[in-house]
Amino acid sequence: MALFVLLCGPVASAAQTPDTDKPVPILTGNAGTFSFVTGGQNLIDAQFNPVLLLPLGDRWLIESRVAFEGQFQRPPDGGPYAGPVTKHVDYAQLDYIANPYVTITAGRFLTPFGIFNERLYPCWIRALQPDPLILPINTAPSDGVMFRGSFPVNAQANMNYAVYFSATSIGIGSVDSERHVGGRMGFFLPGPRLEVGGSWQRTLQDDRKNAFGFHLGWQPAKAPLNLRAEFARSFEGSGYWVEGAYRLSQLHFLEREMRRTEFAARLQQFYTGTISPDVAAQLALPSANTREADFGVNYFLRDGLKGIFSYGRGFSSAGNYNQWSFGFAYRWLVPLGRVAEPSEVQ
Amino acid sequence: MRPHFHPRTSLALLICLLAFASSLFAGGPSARKDSSAEPVIRVTDPDTMRIEGEKRFHANCGRCHAAPQKYPPRMMATVLRHMRVRATITDEDRRLILFYMTQ
Repeated sequence: MALFVLLCGPVASAAQTPDTDKPVPILTGNAGTFSFVTGGQNLIDAQFNPVLLLPLGDRWLIESRVAFEGQFQRPPDGGPYAGPVTKHVDYAQLDYIANPYVTITAGRFLTPFGIFNERLYPCWIRALQPDPLILPINTAPSDGVMFRGSFPVNAQANMNYAVYFSATSIGIGSVDSERHVGGRMGFFLPGPRLEVGGSWQRTLQDDRKNAFGFHLGWQPAKAPLNLRAEFARSFEGSGYWVEGAYRLSQLHFLEREMRRTEFAARLQQFYTGTISPDVAAQLALPSANTREADFGVNYFLRDGLKGIFSYGRGFSSAGNYNQWSFGFAYRWLVPLGRVAEPSEVQ
Repeated sequence: MRPHFHPRTSLALLICLLAFASSLFAGGPSARKDSSAEPVIRVTDPDTMRIEGEKRFHANCGRCHAAPQKYPPRMMATVLRHMRVRATITDEDRRLILFYMTQ
């Protein structure tokens, strides 16, 4: 009954696409090469993440992102860099835009817990390349179905939501995820450009535990500043990060260079949960309570291409450490079909 | 004793709630008599759409990333459909941003 109302009720208000604006399939994605030096250990990270966008008709979209990543280190006793090259499907989903308020997604999708995993993860987007410490908390890909959407609730606010269910497995070899249910709801105030929201997830296997998260984003209109923060609490651990990124476009010298330069800083803290240090390590979580401060600078060479540099200092009962990163991130976008009518071609 | 809801029951209740909320909005903004607080702008004037589209472009897209260059309309239509799902931007914002980005 609920699905019937969702699918059939508001359909009439969905817009139709004019022929001249018919979406074309696109191959996009990002690539990056980075050098991370953590605690004196150098790691060369090379990644290639193609994204396929395949629109079908006015309401359907197939989208998929595959990640290829090589992480190379020099052995302690010397010799050439070597390491594993991994590949996995981040998401492969079918979206049906039922109406202006509801989109139904099926397949493998990024778990909407917080905002970093879904929106800020790609290397060309993130302001600092090292992952936030709490990123692994409840952000493993989901295989199942999701309802999501966004709509204005009044003149000052939009509400967005996502509700999802993930099965244990969708029966495809090498594709596994856990059984869980969850949701995220947020409000975006376009005037002050402020976004706040919360996430919830309940694991439906083994230890049935709840996890909660909160997120915040603010881009003041009068300054090229981007402030974001997330908090997460789960049995695997808890923590938060606060990040600011500031473009130097308001400075009145070397204006071209300043416009392309961005400073970023992140403060974060992680508290261990009830899992063992070994399990935490498997999840890429710190094995001990950790505080970390990162500072970085990004230089946008051209659209989609930026050079990055950052330094961070971590304080942990397992040992303090320095973390340096340097590299380049690139985003591309290629049409897989004709983008202009014959009459439009000069 | 605290009430206990089975997760499947909770999910079903949540979907029903969303369905009900969705149906409340199903009539669309034009069907509402009192639209003084309605942010949806169903304008067709190109200048107004361009200005409003630019405003919404900076408000929505700037939440995550730097402003990209403009691409042909058919590419932008695909990108905006993707971003509508990924970044949960509203249908009206998508329409106005697409107009602005294809001018």
